[in-house]
Amino acid sequence: MNLALDISESFKLSLSALVANKSRGALTALGIIIGIVAVITTMTAANGLKNTFRETFASIGSDVIYVSKRPWISMGPGFEFRNRKDITLAQSKKLQQRLQGRGVVNPSIGGMRNLKYRSKVLEDIRIMGTTEKQIIVSDMVPSTGRFLMPFDVEYKKNVAVIGSEIAKDLFGQSGAVGKIIKVGRHKFSIIGVMEEQGSSFFGGPNFDRQVFIPISTFSKTLGTRGGRANVSIAIKAPSPEEMADFEYEVIGEIRKIRGLKPAEKDDFSLNKLDTILSAYNNMMGVVVAVGLMITGISLFVGGVGVMNIMFVSVTERTKEIGIRKAIGAKRRSILMQFLFESSIICLFGGIIGLLISAAITQIINQTLMPASISPSIIVTALIISVVVGVISGIVPAYRAAKLDPIEALRYE
Amino acid sequence: MSNAMNTSDTILDIRDVTRTYFMGDQEVNALRGISLSIKRGEYVAIMGPSGSGKSTLMNTIGCLDVPTSGTYRLENDLVNEKSEDELADIRNKKIGFVFQTFNLVPRISVFQNIELPLIYKGVSKRERRKIVNQVIDDVGLSDRAQHKSNELSGGQRQRVAIARALVCNPSIILADEPTGNLDSSTGREIMEILNALHKQGNTIILVTHEDEIAAHAHRVVRLRDGLIESDTVTKSVHLATTDSAVS
Repeated sequence: MNLALDISESFKLSLSALVANKSRGALTALGIIIGIVAVITTMTAANGLKNTFRETFASIGSDVIYVSKRPWISMGPGFEFRNRKDITLAQSKKLQQRLQGRGVVNPSIGGMRNLKYRSKVLEDIRIMGTTEKQIIVSDMVPSTGRFLMPFDVEYKKNVAVIGSEIAKDLFGQSGAVGKIIKVGRHKFSIIGVMEEQGSSFFGGPNFDRQVFIPISTFSKTLGTRGGRANVSIAIKAPSPEEMADFEYEVIGEIRKIRGLKPAEKDDFSLNKLDTILSAYNNMMGVVVAVGLMITGISLFVGGVGVMNIMFVSVTERTKEIGIRKAIGAKRRSILMQFLFESSIICLFGGIIGLLISAAITQIINQTLMPASISPSIIVTALIISVVVGVISGIVPAYRAAKLDPIEALRYE
Repeated sequence: MSNAMNTSDTILDIRDVTRTYFMGDQEVNALRGISLSIKRGEYVAIMGPSGSGKSTLMNTIGCLDVPTSGTYRLENDLVNEKSEDELADIRNKKIGFVFQTFNLVPRISVFQNIELPLIYKGVSKRERRKIVNQVIDDVGLSDRAQHKSNELSGGQRQRVAIARALVCNPSIILADEPTGNLDSSTGREIMEILNALHKQGNTIILVTHEDEIAAHAHRVVRLRDGLIESDTVTKSVHLATTDSAVS
């Protein structure tokens, strides 16, 4: 028997059986629809999170090393890091000298403060004391006005460059440059507004809600009493290719500057975009795996529903199977007829599920984060549906195929 | 399919066939040693009371069942040793079943019902359409082709079943109580169709318990308790091989 003919006829036979029993097919497909929606939405949400994360940290160059007291990402209690000696501005200057002009060294220091403009108050805004080199180590530029200049740092000027969101909140459409804002009791004159950085990762830093001021001014006006100033040093490698070698060099120099003996452990942390990305990927990997497992259960339940209906369908049509066998249907033909039936139900469920997921993804995209259904997700969903259909159909179909024709014909 | 058989025009040959099966732990000897030979073009009625083994014999002849012992040759082909799929293939190509309860597939149309054996045979769609339309015409149901089987009368359903039995041009038409579910006038119509088919040269085996129906056949085989009680030729037989009147 011609296989292609066999397949196309099995397909038609299954389809006609389904059409004859629409409401049952639709209800069975509902389980698959829910399962596919759950799985696909999890996948698109995971992709959305990944996109958001990338966008958030896009301004951190991949060729920049951050030296700070604490690692950006750590597990467990942080005693070890808390007892470390501070990294100081002086150490940053020494590092710059020792690197002899290779790479770009930018010290920065940050703190959360309230911001005031006339009667408006913005709470817990990240104030960054930094230098003019900030825009070299991070990919940010002002959209209006100018960024800090060497003389701002040198003369400890009370000037500020504000994030786009702050500008919007405080000044709306009117120009921010030239306005005076207050941080604590200190007045700062706005010299520039940063370009918008875009969406931020949940709980991650929002680069559109921060204020840059000269690091020297920060120490003078906002630094904690006793001069405790924990600086973070950003060092941009001369070129991305030299990143690895440069990293070793930087570690060596900082160890010397901080007077570490060869056997001593580093008393500072080295942070890179890679570190966050890999930590993020690890975490997301687990979250997505757990998410898919949980949503996979709903798909599994849907599959069990299909299997159940297929058993009912086979039992109901025992006589029909007997007739078909009597007039020459082989096991394979019967098997395929029922496999096609379960696969069509599931594929149908998968397609409807995809459409619903697309709508949900659109809503997520407009409200939460940039999410989209990629072609690979569509293909995956359709493949998953068919696989679920085949798996849930195989046992009932096999039972149908091996029915004894005499018994089956006698069945009423 | 070759009609020219080198040995004789014997179409089926059953030798010392027994069939034993178990109902629960009870052994049932449905056939206890049956030998029967039927020639091409014969019109045979198999008769017997219920429990005589005629259903089992019919299932065996129809290749739905295989003997426990003994041999069954259909067109010189030993059936006992076939796999289930090979049996399906034989049923498809060589046996045309007509059942008491019609056994049409519900939900699908008359056309599709008649088309099914051709699908399982692997005939192309164009070819199928041609054959099915021809056969539907032969049984006089052209105007019902697109009706579902549950929209037909009993007589019409049985005519569809006969059309389905004929569509693969079988060696044997096996009719199991074909009029059992019909009123007598419709039953007569169906018997007329079978008689006509026989006149065209088809081999027909009729399973029945009604003498009136068996009277249409040319040879009557009576079973009792799994054995052949009598085997009598009731009419002079014009075998198809010698009958040149076939159109």
